[in-house]
Amino acid sequence: MDEVLKKRRALQETMNFMAALAAGMENVLGRGANSMTMSAGRNLGRKFAAEARHTNDLLEAIDEVRKVLIANNCLWNFELFKEQGQADYVTVNDKNESQIFLVFRDCMIRQALFRFGHPQYGSLCNMMTGFFIGALETIMGKKTNLEIRHAGENACLKVLTVQV
Amino acid sequence: MLEMTIREKGCRGCRMCIDVCPTACFDFDEKEQKAVVAKVENCIACLSCAYICPSQVISHANIHHVKNFYRNIYFSRRMEKFL
Repeated sequence: MDEVLKKRRALQETMNFMAALAAGMENVLGRGANSMTMSAGRNLGRKFAAEARHTNDLLEAIDEVRKVLIANNCLWNFELFKEQGQADYVTVNDKNESQIFLVFRDCMIRQALFRFGHPQYGSLCNMMTGFFIGALETIMGKKTNLEIRHAGENACLKVLTVQV
Repeated sequence: MLEMTIREKGCRGCRMCIDVCPTACFDFDEKEQKAVVAKVENCIACLSCAYICPSQVISHANIHHVKNFYRNIYFSRRMEKFL
């Protein structure tokens, strides 16, 4: 138990350091910081998902991403979301792309950012977004995008779109 | 099941909760000039409404509260020297 607590403390301190670093980087690099971190996250996601099972089914692919996250000790739980009255989780948007809403609750990025009052939607959020879409693109072989629809204090709502 | 309530007497009808909610859980009662919970099933418990409400009248029950690092006393003590 002591070992777990020690590891958790180390992780928390590292995350807070990362948050401070990211906030500083945004000031220096401006908007370019977001694309840099997203690219880094995407490369990592592709690397981690290289051995994952390939599928064309979006729901199965999301489950595979979940497995990739767990296998690499990334505690980034998410749930599927659909509005009241909506029949299926997967819908088609006006650009004829498949889309699905995801809710992220326990997010180490958000927890780290709030520690020193850094804003959300920044470069660290983009890094995790990049990680997710990098993994999903490898699994599905299609162009995907994960957009932050709402960054809340206790949960974030994101919309995942996949080109058909 | 998730529960969300607005303490009616406290609501000033500023509509900030309606604007901030990403899943359109709220409606506005034009007659009473107050916000009302319309679709609690859509609530993702992001708690943005509760944080933004100037009267602090929105409350949630049966939700998962994310643990924040600043609530970790051991960590906060160690970070004190930097603050």
